[in-house]
Amino acid sequence: MVKIGIMGLTGCSGCQCEILNCEDAIYKLLGRVEFSYFPLAQDNNSFEEFDVLFVEGSVTTDLDEEKVKKGREISKILVAVGSCACYGGVQSQRNDEVSLEEMIKGVYGTTELPVKISKPRAVSEVVKVDYELPGCPLDKRQFVYAVAFLLNGVKPFFPKIPVCHECKLSETECLTLKGIPCQGPISFSGCGAPCTSQGVGCQGCRGDCDFPNYNEMVSILERNGLKREDAFKFIKVFRGKQAQDRISKLFRGDLDEKGA
Amino acid sequence: MKRELNINHLTRVEGHGAVNIVIENDKLREIKLRFTEGPRFFEYITRERLYNEIPKIVSRICGICYVSHRLSSIAAIEDAFDVKVTEEIDLLRKLLIVGEYLESHALHLYFLALPDYMGYPSALAMAKDYPNVVKRGFHIKEVGNRIMKLIGGKTVHGENILAGGFKSVPTKEQLQKIQDELYKVIPEIKATVSLFDSFHYPQYNEKPPFSLCINSEKFSILGNELILSDGTLFTKKEYEIFIEEKTSSYSTAKYSTIKGKPFLIGPLARVNHYVDTLRSETKEVLRNLKTKFPSENILHSNLARAVEMLELALEGVEICQKLIEAYPFEGEVEVKPKAGTGYGIKEAPRGLLFHKYTFDENGRCTSANIITPTAQLQAIIEENLGTLVERSKDAENEDLKKKAEMLIRAYDP
Ligand code: SF4
Ligand code: SF4
Ligand code: SF4
Repeated sequence: MVKIGIMGLTGCSGCQCEILNCEDAIYKLLGRVEFSYFPLAQDNNSFEEFDVLFVEGSVTTDLDEEKVKKGREISKILVAVGSCACYGGVQSQRNDEVSLEEMIKGVYGTTELPVKISKPRAVSEVVKVDYELPGCPLDKRQFVYAVAFLLNGVKPFFPKIPVCHECKLSETECLTLKGIPCQGPISFSGCGAPCTSQGVGCQGCRGDCDFPNYNEMVSILERNGLKREDAFKFIKVFRGKQAQDRISKLFRGDLDEKGA
Repeated sequence: MKRELNINHLTRVEGHGAVNIVIENDKLREIKLRFTEGPRFFEYITRERLYNEIPKIVSRICGICYVSHRLSSIAAIEDAFDVKVTEEIDLLRKLLIVGEYLESHALHLYFLALPDYMGYPSALAMAKDYPNVVKRGFHIKEVGNRIMKLIGGKTVHGENILAGGFKSVPTKEQLQKIQDELYKVIPEIKATVSLFDSFHYPQYNEKPPFSLCINSEKFSILGNELILSDGTLFTKKEYEIFIEEKTSSYSTAKYSTIKGKPFLIGPLARVNHYVDTLRSETKEVLRNLKTKFPSENILHSNLARAVEMLELALEGVEICQKLIEAYPFEGEVEVKPKAGTGYGIKEAPRGLLFHKYTFDENGRCTSANIITPTAQLQAIIEENLGTLVERSKDAENEDLKKKAEMLIRAYDP
């Protein structure tokens, strides 16, 4: 039996819910894999060794850090699932704008909290990560494929082509051409573009595709009615450090002026 | 003699929780329910963002009740900008709620709670002996998921749920299909009600000091006014006046009271309040149960969840009918930002939820306040745990732990 663990750090459990939503696949897998750790769903958890450990959520507290380090030690393969685990997620979108103290004070009115907190970090900023399945939440087909690949000793690989590609496949009319802000050109596909096919611009929940052209993306967003600083914020929502690094490098001048 | 009981990791609850209980010379000394979940700063990361970023950001507070967070924030935004939506948009939102409740309640009942009552560590373990029961849970959940995916675009965090309505709406055929599926799932929900009525529920708690829910003529998940069980009425704007929030030294959830006392929210509070106004088909089912509502036993929350699923599935069938008759309709109204503050409340599956935002004239958020059900439940759960410990001082540690976990799970914190 292949031992699988599903661990939640600081997140919303949405990725774990999507994993539970892989109902049929879970049923079929039950013969070959054993969920030896899945506290959201079961009592009988053992935290001793894993063939594959899936980690949801960002590293935000000292407990998160302890758990993920221990998890790394006892796992052959560690997979970060969801944009919180892969990039830091929504909770990290202002990491570059304000200090941790300010955020804690702003929410709790005090800095005395029962847990030790750091700015939300991606799992890969703390331990070595073997594979990443981003998305907010992760895509459940990709989860099932990844498990199936790993069970058969194949490396899970998903090409980082832009979401626009998915629109072409599903013959969705391009929203950018209609003036609707869409991050598809710089976002990692694999979701089947459920947003654009409903007329909602891609929000970039899966992070960057390979070679994302931020410069051009920002000017397109500006043409579609966003102020430059709002375009930066729009791009930053899910991408955590990924976007913060790129934006600070590419647009340093703007940032000094506008303080975005 | 001092005795300590620690549950370091609560399982089969969403989020991360722990309990510490200290008993000294047969007297309860200390009880602490700690949520050790890392903070995610939602009231801070929404600041300076444009109003249309907000539903998307706060959706990520909870993967199970994201529809609630989206809809409460949308209600607040529309309140701030004086946006009036059409009846069809309102109906689509209500249908979305039907999906949310089926998903969330079925997940809770079959996967988090049922293993306790059937004596298994998890639903997956139960599947070997009772495949049909577990499949029923999966099926109800699936119907809920399908509704959320159809309207919102994704099963979790659908981006089509926006201030002003929806960028696209389901087709007539899709609505017919959903109506059909809801119709077919009703017997399975009725079976769920009778399954959860068949268990023995010991009374672990005293009567809650207060209970609180949205006030309306009929069972309602959305609204603008609240009712406290002593008859006090207040509006969503007055929420912050009535609910006192304190930060706690041991939990990352805030500690809330009303008139100085813990209060009950959620399925049991709602069913107790609305039991006489439910649909006749639901009442018919209730008449045949051994459990009677209103009830003061918190473990009956599980049965209350099943009753809510039934009421909402029936409502869902009616909503689909109305939407089919209204077809074709527009899904969106215009939203024009202006400076101001807006409030939104909603009954999330586990209890009341409050969102408040202030915007500048460009529609950028300048401040936010969100009061989650978990924060409001902390005080009442601690009070209940205290009663449980007082009542079962002779119980073995393992037994007491199990009871404490069952009690906490009944709240689905
Ligand atoms: S990536 Fe998104 S869905 Fe997954 S845990 Fe984080 S916020 Fe939730
Ligand atoms: S709608 Fe967005 S993702 Fe689709 S093709 Fe246009 S820009 Fe690309
Ligand atoms: S279209 Fe964009 S926002 Fe929507 S799921 Fe895909 S990556 Fe995420």
